[in-house]
Amino acid sequence: MDEDSRLSLIAELIRDHISLDGIDRYLAETGVQSCDFVPVEPRDFAGEIFAVDGSNASICGWSTANVNLIRAGYAVYRERDWKRTVITFDDAFLADPQLCQKMFDPYLEHFFGLKGIDFKESDLDRLSSYYRELHEYVAINDALSEAHAGDIILYDGSFDVFEPLRGVLAAIFDRAREKGIALLAVAKSSSIFWGEVVSLPFVQHTSMAGSRLLPGAAWYLSLKDKKVDAGQGRWNGQTYIVRFCGQSEHAFRVDAPSYLADDIGSVLEKLAAYSCSAECMGYPHALFRAHRDIRITEQEGAAACERLMAQLSEIGMTHSEIRLLMQDFHDILEMRPGI
Amino acid sequence: MRAEEREKKVAIKQENIQPSGAESLLNRKVIEERDTTYRIVSKNVSEYHFIVPFDLSEEERVEVGQIFSIKDQGLTFLARAVNIEHSSNYDGHWDTTMKGTQFFDSDQIFNRVSAEPLGCINRKLEFKKSRTLPTKFAPVARAEREEFRFLSQVMGDIEVGYLRNGSRLVEEIQVALHSEVMDHHMGVFATTGMGKSNFMKVFAASCMRLAARGQSKFGLLIVDPHGEYLKGKGPVKGLTHLKRYREGLACYSTNRQNASDPGVEELAISESEIFPEDIALLYEWSPPQRDALEAVSRIFDPASWLEEIKSPEGMVRMMQEGFKDSTVNVLVRRIKNELERNPYIRKRSSLANILANLQKGKVVLVDIPRMSDRSELFLLSVISRYILDEYKKDEKEGGESRKNCLITIEEAQRVLGSGSNISRFESIAREGRKFGVGLCAITQQPKLIDKQLLSQFNTLVVMGLGDRNDRRQLEESAKQDLTSMDIEIQTLEKGEAVVSTLNIPFPVPARIHRYEDYLRRLDKEDKQESLIARGGFKPFLD
Ligand SMILES: Nc1ncnc2c1ncn2[C@@H]1O[C@H](COP(=O)(O)OP(=O)(O)O)[C@@H](O)[C@H]1O
Ligand SMILES: [Mg+2]
Repeated sequence: MDEDSRLSLIAELIRDHISLDGIDRYLAETGVQSCDFVPVEPRDFAGEIFAVDGSNASICGWSTANVNLIRAGYAVYRERDWKRTVITFDDAFLADPQLCQKMFDPYLEHFFGLKGIDFKESDLDRLSSYYRELHEYVAINDALSEAHAGDIILYDGSFDVFEPLRGVLAAIFDRAREKGIALLAVAKSSSIFWGEVVSLPFVQHTSMAGSRLLPGAAWYLSLKDKKVDAGQGRWNGQTYIVRFCGQSEHAFRVDAPSYLADDIGSVLEKLAAYSCSAECMGYPHALFRAHRDIRITEQEGAAACERLMAQLSEIGMTHSEIRLLMQDFHDILEMRPGI
Repeated sequence: MRAEEREKKVAIKQENIQPSGAESLLNRKVIEERDTTYRIVSKNVSEYHFIVPFDLSEEERVEVGQIFSIKDQGLTFLARAVNIEHSSNYDGHWDTTMKGTQFFDSDQIFNRVSAEPLGCINRKLEFKKSRTLPTKFAPVARAEREEFRFLSQVMGDIEVGYLRNGSRLVEEIQVALHSEVMDHHMGVFATTGMGKSNFMKVFAASCMRLAARGQSKFGLLIVDPHGEYLKGKGPVKGLTHLKRYREGLACYSTNRQNASDPGVEELAISESEIFPEDIALLYEWSPPQRDALEAVSRIFDPASWLEEIKSPEGMVRMMQEGFKDSTVNVLVRRIKNELERNPYIRKRSSLANILANLQKGKVVLVDIPRMSDRSELFLLSVISRYILDEYKKDEKEGGESRKNCLITIEEAQRVLGSGSNISRFESIAREGRKFGVGLCAITQQPKLIDKQLLSQFNTLVVMGLGDRNDRRQLEESAKQDLTSMDIEIQTLEKGEAVVSTLNIPFPVPARIHRYEDYLRRLDKEDKQESLIARGGFKPFLD
C-alpha cells in the first residue's frame, strides 16, 4: 500500500470518528441536552478584569543542569482599557532535585501557610513546570490582594492541577470567596473526551453543537452530570464549556470554584462584553494581553543562553567544554548553526 | 580540592541560589501605560525609524517631507520623513484575517515613520552632517522654528519664500538664494501651472530690491515671449507694479504700445549684430542651404552681410562659391521675410544699453509679446551671444566694477536638450561661469535636458513634477541627493518647492511667495529700510 492510499484511509477513519452528521449521537452519548446550552448576553462591567499567565523557556536542558527562564504575572483591564501589567516573577530556575524542596517551600509557607511540598520520584522531570505553576499561583494571590469585591480574575489554564499544589489552590479559592472576587480558569487547549468506543474531542464537538443550537450567540454549558472524561476533578469546582463571543467559532474550557456555582451566568455575561476584540476575537481580551506581555520570546531565551555561556567561560570553562556540554545531538543532526 | 571541601562550597552556593527572607520572595515589576510613540526605535546612521500613533487627528498627522527634531543630550538631530507605514507589535497577517474592527490595545498598533537624517545641531548651534545616530528611544518632535533658526544663518540675499515643514509654513524662516552662486547656473522645474512664472517674478522682485539698494551682485536678463512679466494680466501683476524698486528694473519691448509707457524703451537690434547662425535658428534647412548659410561669414563682411547678400552682387558671389541659385534664393527670401516681420531690426541697437544695465546689476526685462517660438530663440541667441562676447572681452580687460549676469531661458529644453544643435546656450552652460555669465533654465520637462549640463546646475528650484522620468532625471543629476524626496516632489502643491543650492546644507522645502502678496509686503515693510538705504530717511539727527 502506498502512502497516499494509506493517508486516504486514515482520512476516512478520522472523518467517521470526528465529524458529526448532526448532533444526535453527541447528545445521546454525552447526556447533553439542547436546553443545557445557556445563552449569554454580553453585559457592561465597570470593575477590573485581571488575567494571570506564566511562561517558561528552557535555556539549557542537561540532566545535570536543567535551566529555565520563568516568568509570571498578570494584566489588568478596566473595560477596554489596559491599565497595567504586573510581573511577579521573572528569573532563571535550576531544576535540581536536591534543591527543589528549598525552592518551593519558602513560597508555599509565606504566601499560603503551607508546609513541605512532597515530590514523588516521577514528578522530578517536570520540576520547572511545577515551579512555573507555583509562580502563577503567587501571581493570582498578588492579583487577589489588588482586586476589589466584584472584580474578575482569569487564570490561563485549568484548576485540575498537580496534586502537591492542590493545597495552594484551596487557599486561593478561600481568599477569592472571602473577598467576593470571581476566579475562573480559561484553558486554550483541553483534554476532555466523550464517546463510548473511541475518545472524541469534547470541546470541539460542543462548539459545533452550540453553533447549531444557538447560532451567532455566546453561551455556556455545565459539565455537571455529563458523561465526559474531564480529568480527576477533585479540585472543588465545576467545569464549563464557554463560547465568549457570538461571532467566533471557538469555545473554551472554563473552570470555576464551587462558590461561583450560582453566579457563573452573570460572571460570563461580563466577560462576554470584553471578549470580542479585533486583536483576538472570541477570547477574553485581558488573557490575550497577559499572554503577550508575559511570554518569554525566543530571542530572550537565546540571549539568556548566551549570557549563561559567557558566564561559564568567564569562570574558566573552555569553549570546547561548554560546547560539548551544551550541544544537543539534535542540533548536530539538524545542522543548526551556532554553539 | 578535597571532596568534603568541594561539597561544602557547593552547599554554600546552593544556599545562595535559594530564596532567602520573605521580602525577596516577591519582586513585583509594574508596567504601566507610557508613551512609546514619538521615540527613535531604529535603525542606522542613514535612516531613522520612529513610531507615531496610528490614529492621529488631521492636525497632527505625519506627512512625508515633514522635518522632525530629535533632542539627544546636547545634540539636536534633524530628519525628514520619507515614508510612513502601518505597523504593530503583532506578527503575521492578523490585520487581514480578523473579523472585528474594534481595537482594545491601541498602544500596540502604530505607524512607523522612516526619516532621512539631515544633520545635527550642536551646542554651539552649528549645523553639521551627522556621523552618528540618536540614542535609542530618544524623543522625537516636529521641528519648530527654534530648531530651524540655524537655517537663517545659511540663507542668502535673494528671498523667494518661507520655509515649509510638510504643508505647514514656518514664516519666521525665509528661504533665500545666494547671489554669489548665480553664475553656477540655476534650474527652475515644474509642470505647467505649478508656479514657475510666479517664482521668476518673486526672484526678479528680490533682485530689483537688491539693485535699488545698491546691493546687487548680478544682472538678471529675462526675455519674455508671453508678455506676462511686464504688466501681468488681470489680477496677476507684473514687474512694473513693484514701484518701490522700479529703479532696479530696465524694460525693453517690441510692442509699440508697451514701449510708449514711461520707463520702457523700444527694443532695437542692429543688423550688424545678427550672425548667420542666428538666422539658422529660424527655419529648418536642407543640407545645401545649411552649407550656404555656413559659408556666408567666410564670403561677406560679418558687419554687413545681411545687406550684401540681398544685393545682385551678393548673389553672384554666392554662385561663384558653387551654390545653386535656387538655394541662395531661398536664403535671401527668408532673410527678407524675417527683416520685414521683425521691425525691431534696425540700424540702432539697444544691446549696449541692455549690457550696461546688466553690468550695473539691474533686472533687464525684454518683453516680446506674441513672438513666435523660433523668433524668440533667434532674439535670445543674438542677445546672449552679445552678452557672452562682451563679458569675455571684459574678462581680458579686467572690468572690475561690472556685475555678473544671469540669463533666463524659458522652455529651456528647446536649447539644452540632449539632441539640440544650438551650441550657444550649451557653451554658456559649460564656460559661462569663467566669465561671470550664468544660465537660469526654466522648463517643465527636465527629462529632455542633457544630463551632463544638468549636473552643472548648482541651484535647483524643484516644484511639482508629475512625470516620473522628469523627477528621475533631476534626482540623478542633482548635486544634492534628491532621491529620497521623490514622493515629496511628486506631491508638491502649487507654489511649493524644494530648493537645493550651494551654501545651504540640505534641500530645503519652501513655499514660494505668491508674487502679488510679496509685492504688497515689499511695499509696506520696506518703506523705512529703503529710505535709510538711500540716505533719505533719518530717524535721528546726528
Ligand atoms: N507660490 C504661489 N502661491 C500661490 N499661488 C501661486 C504660487 N505660484 C503660482 N501660483 C498660482 O498658480 C498659477 C500658475 O502659476 P504660474 O507661475 O503661471 O505657473 P507656470 O509658470 O509654472 O505655468 C497662477 O495663477 C498663480 O497665481
Ligand atoms: Mg509660466
